[in-house]
Amino acid sequence: MIYLDHNATAPLDARVRETMLPYLGGPYANPSSQHRMGRAARDAVETARAQVAALAGASAGEVIFTSGGTEANNLAVKGTALAAPRGRLLYSAVEHPCVVEPMQALAARGWPVETLAVDGEGRVDLAAFEHQIKGGEVRLVSCMVANNETGVIQDVARLAALARRAGAVFHADAVQAAGKIPLSFPDSRAHLMSLSSHKIYGPKGAGALFADPAVPLEPLLHGGGQERHLRGGTENVAALVGFGAAAELARTELAARMAHARRLRDRLQARLAALPGLVSFGARAERLPNTLQFAVPGVHSATLLGLLDKQGFAVSSGSACASGTDEPSPVLLAMGVPAELALCAIRVSVGKDNTEGEVDRFAAALCGLLAGLGVSMPSVKPAAGVV
Amino acid sequence: MIYLDYAATTPLDPAAYEAMQPYLRPGGAHGNPASDHLAGKRAREAVERARAQVAALIGALPAEIVWTSGATESDNLALKGALEFYADRGRHVVTSMVEHKAVLDTCRYLETRGTKVTYLRPGADGRVAPEQVLEALTPGTVLVSLMWVNNETGVIHEVERLAPALRERGVLFHVDAAQAAGKIALDLRTVPVDLLSLSAHKAYGPKGMGALFVRKKPRARLAPQLHGGGHEQGMRSGTLPTHQIVGMGEAFRIAGERLAQEGAALAVLRERLWACLRELPQVFLNGEGAPRVPGILNVSFGGVEGESLRASLPELAGSSGSACSSATGESSYVLRALGRDDELANASLRFSLGRFTTEAEIDQAAEQVVAQVRRLRALAPA
Amino acid sequence: MSATAAGPGVNPFGYSDAVWRRFTEAPRAGLLEGPGTRTGRAATPANRSRLQLQARISGGRIEDARFQAYGCPTAIAVGAWLAERAIGRSLDELAAIGAAEIRQALEIPDTRLHCALLGEDAIKSLVEAASAAK
Repeated sequence: MIYLDHNATAPLDARVRETMLPYLGGPYANPSSQHRMGRAARDAVETARAQVAALAGASAGEVIFTSGGTEANNLAVKGTALAAPRGRLLYSAVEHPCVVEPMQALAARGWPVETLAVDGEGRVDLAAFEHQIKGGEVRLVSCMVANNETGVIQDVARLAALARRAGAVFHADAVQAAGKIPLSFPDSRAHLMSLSSHKIYGPKGAGALFADPAVPLEPLLHGGGQERHLRGGTENVAALVGFGAAAELARTELAARMAHARRLRDRLQARLAALPGLVSFGARAERLPNTLQFAVPGVHSATLLGLLDKQGFAVSSGSACASGTDEPSPVLLAMGVPAELALCAIRVSVGKDNTEGEVDRFAAALCGLLAGLGVSMPSVKPAAGVV
Repeated sequence: MIYLDYAATTPLDPAAYEAMQPYLRPGGAHGNPASDHLAGKRAREAVERARAQVAALIGALPAEIVWTSGATESDNLALKGALEFYADRGRHVVTSMVEHKAVLDTCRYLETRGTKVTYLRPGADGRVAPEQVLEALTPGTVLVSLMWVNNETGVIHEVERLAPALRERGVLFHVDAAQAAGKIALDLRTVPVDLLSLSAHKAYGPKGMGALFVRKKPRARLAPQLHGGGHEQGMRSGTLPTHQIVGMGEAFRIAGERLAQEGAALAVLRERLWACLRELPQVFLNGEGAPRVPGILNVSFGGVEGESLRASLPELAGSSGSACSSATGESSYVLRALGRDDELANASLRFSLGRFTTEAEIDQAAEQVVAQVRRLRALAPA
Repeated sequence: MSATAAGPGVNPFGYSDAVWRRFTEAPRAGLLEGPGTRTGRAATPANRSRLQLQARISGGRIEDARFQAYGCPTAIAVGAWLAERAIGRSLDELAAIGAAEIRQALEIPDTRLHCALLGEDAIKSLVEAASAAK
């Protein structure tokens, strides 16, 4: 199988697994226990905290560990809204369901909720945003650093500065951005920032919310007082240790991973450029170096994905969380992509272990399938060295 | 170090550890279980297999198992989710004073949001009787939450007797079974509980993993607390951690296989420990009057001060008070609710034995405790 | 012969070495008898911690001293330290030892201040008992 769906999940790095195994098979005490073994578990969690903080230049005291990115986003959105007097909640039109759904849940309970429009490339319209927040009473603005489907990167620092001026809390979902581009919590000017372990080659089951301690947050999980009473529940020591190790590797290997990803993504993009009518989404904006979302008009993703899967290629149409539905992606619709075209979306997200050969094989397979589906193609010469 | 703190957490069973390995390695099962490609499908299959394993241990249908990040989350989801969904039925909850902090803190939070909560005090046997619960019900009671087994004393609540009575009265029944699953036989086909919290790491599964049983017939409804991609039938969004789920499934499968025999073995070891400790004057067994799970022994020692007792036993991992509350340094509210004064509650030790406890460990522990209690008593002024 | 606690090498609870050694070894624990024995007692409210300090005084100096204590490790350590310090001192010298000195010698943190005060009270009680007997 050739795995090209790293934005959905990234396989656990073998080095990260090695750091986790002793905590699965070994010192297994509850970090809240007061005996020596409890303290060893506690120390491991605190080391991981420092490593995760370092990935985004945050301080350990700003890190709240959660069970994943979904929980981190839920805590950011609901935690902020419930801890403040009712007011307007704004989120970009391209947010992930785990930001959209909490916002909608609050809307159902009476909070005024609004979206921030994006342009054709998926970037939040800064002028429109500035105008929108002039109305006042804005409690929270949520805008992701980079989109999971298109890879498009937002100008978070500018958005956050505007939000701050309006007295609002700014939350940036960095789940896709972490480990793919340089990330700085302090420079972003965000009050809250979400991360997910399994997107950076760490284990599933762990995430984090960077939180400015000055922002009141109502916890989602009560009981036990862990994470300074912001997130109750016995800590998942092994997963947090793995998350920490993955964060450290993501930080130290960032430059190499970025270069590698960009090389592969751009290579694929070049190979596919020859396909007639192929539309790339967000290609004119600044994007994550590993992501390419495109569509071949008239060829539905469901059809193509099934065929690609049979040939051993794992890719997706957009958000894994929304797969299995036949709806066009709200992200693409917000960008003004017609629904029919949005239903043809294919997302390729390469990872650090993919090779040029794999990318070439994918391109060849895709072209072959499209030819088989009757999409007329100019003759595509295989690159030198590719079978 | 002698580990007698299985009620705080258990080591991962080696078989569960092995079962998790393929999902920690590359090789095609690492996909997001929500993805449609082969990597995702393989992960999804493993998840559904594990779901059936967990369901089997408690007599549930697989579709009644909702994965969570642990029993704390399950308790939060059950209480908050039910109160929110059934808001039109009322705003009253009945629970006990001896619930785990996950339930108590959630109840306190609900009180700040306008829910009325009645906290029932246990009797001298450490249990809240079904009659107490029924008496506390009001027309506005939405939910009763009562743990099946108390984590500090090991006493077993009369859930089988209470459940039908609550069902008859149309009141939802949530049971925190974190300390019960794998220790006593649970069959939800015959016990009409509506919501049940499960913890993996209390049953030789991985930390960070749990489940909430949500009955289908009659259907218990919940307002989700984690919103997002609509996972777990819309009840709990978030990418499923395949390896953790597989670990929990395998741990629960093993627990079912071993339940009877392990229970008998632990009862013998516990009696051995108690026989030594009761030789000392002024020792009291907490929860004496009630049926208890075989692995937990909670003892109060008169005439010694609690901090010195614990400090005298650095090589013995046990606890006084639940792990989740020991960080705050309070003396056990469960023991105080049983009627032990502050002093005695503080001078109590919970020994919780488990799958890998040996007779030699029991003997060593007994010897150390007896010696240190004698030493501290001899040090004390008359 | 009473057992010691787990031995001075193992101090996982973060007590100062001075406290830990005296708690685990409890030198000079016990009772004094005979003529010239004076006894001082002190307790914190509700008898949570209790300290008994005994001294045999001869020729104006403390010849022998013993302590008994009920309470946390720090309280026990205070008792042991006082019994040690008392040897060879006059009552006046003993009376000059206050909570501050006890605190410093045993590196007692703020949260255990009451143990140092307990020690001071025990000294006062002993000195009073000794003076009254004259």
